[in-house]
Amino acid sequence: MRADQQDHGKAPARAGRQDGGRAPAQAGRQDRGERIAGLLEAARAGSDEALGQIVAEHSPLLWHVARAAGLSCGDAEDVLQTVWLRLLAHLDDIRTSAALTGWLVVTARREAWRVRAAGRRHVPAEGEALDTLPDQGAGPQEQVLIDDQRRMLWVAIAQLPARCQELLRIVAFVPRPDYSVVAAELGMPVGSVGPTRGRCLAKLRVLLGLDPEGSPI
Amino acid sequence: MTSSSSSSSGSPGAPLDDLDLALLDRVREMYQAADPMPEDLPGRICFLLALRDLEVEVARLAAGQDLLVPAARGAEQSRTITFDSDSMSIMIRIDANGDGTVRVDGWLAPARRAGIELKTSAAAEALSASGDEQGRFAFARVPRGTAQLMVRPEAQGRAVVTPTLIL
Repeated sequence: MRADQQDHGKAPARAGRQDGGRAPAQAGRQDRGERIAGLLEAARAGSDEALGQIVAEHSPLLWHVARAAGLSCGDAEDVLQTVWLRLLAHLDDIRTSAALTGWLVVTARREAWRVRAAGRRHVPAEGEALDTLPDQGAGPQEQVLIDDQRRMLWVAIAQLPARCQELLRIVAFVPRPDYSVVAAELGMPVGSVGPTRGRCLAKLRVLLGLDPEGSPI
Repeated sequence: MTSSSSSSSGSPGAPLDDLDLALLDRVREMYQAADPMPEDLPGRICFLLALRDLEVEVARLAAGQDLLVPAARGAEQSRTITFDSDSMSIMIRIDANGDGTVRVDGWLAPARRAGIELKTSAAAEALSASGDEQGRFAFARVPRGTAQLMVRPEAQGRAVVTPTLIL
């Protein structure tokens, strides 16, 4: 199993619509929160294994935060190392899954932007990199993008404003129960992020033809 | 798209509906496929964190080098890698021994005496060596695998750790 295909998103897509509060997905959320809190506590007590589980579970999110900021793979790896090292100094302050996810996303994003601003290496813009993909031979990335659905999605996302591209990419990797905290940490409190996020998703839906503008689906 | 939404939504400010959530799943799946995190990255990060040293400075790979490509298997090739940090540069040369291990020779600049540790994935204990006044150090036989070098200056100065490399 690939490390970056773990866990989050396993909750059924409809979980957010449940009203009962006793749905299995709700229990799953609580379990996850408790599990992460337990891992944090064990990591504070010095458990490398607990820390390793936290790293394995959250690194894919941070990878995509760094890559969404336009970093090269090498720079993204540097950012992840820096962020995780810094977490060691903050373990005492971080007790919940939401706090952990929020802190990680904000720290990674800030560090990614700092590295990008330093401009140590030339990094092609997102669109640039993708436009060149078909000419790069049959690499693994081209293979996966040939899949029609993915390619359509890729092309549609590439038409969104850069801000939406980054936001959607980050949000897609955030465990859902932690979403509101992450949104607030990104400087978009729920009251106003809702519209921002909604606009990005709404635009994407229109681009994909899922949601013809002005007509209910 | 298999999801269908009974309620119309997608309007600004509306809560995420089923279609939004399904779409976010597709976005995640697409990025996972198109730009996956290197599989071994969490392992390399854990390697670094196991040092539990908050003051440590992480050296960067000097431009234009690739850490992850080991010398051709079985070949007696050598390669040289340079790491830069704020306080020092670390250059290492890796030569394949005949027996499947490698020899690592290193130089610190500016030259200084230092304790050197080489943590490898093959052994729980790190290998140790001392850097002399010219900043030279050597590990004669190092098992292949992932490895990470830590330099602790004897005089003042922070410890410096390299990114993980594959020997």
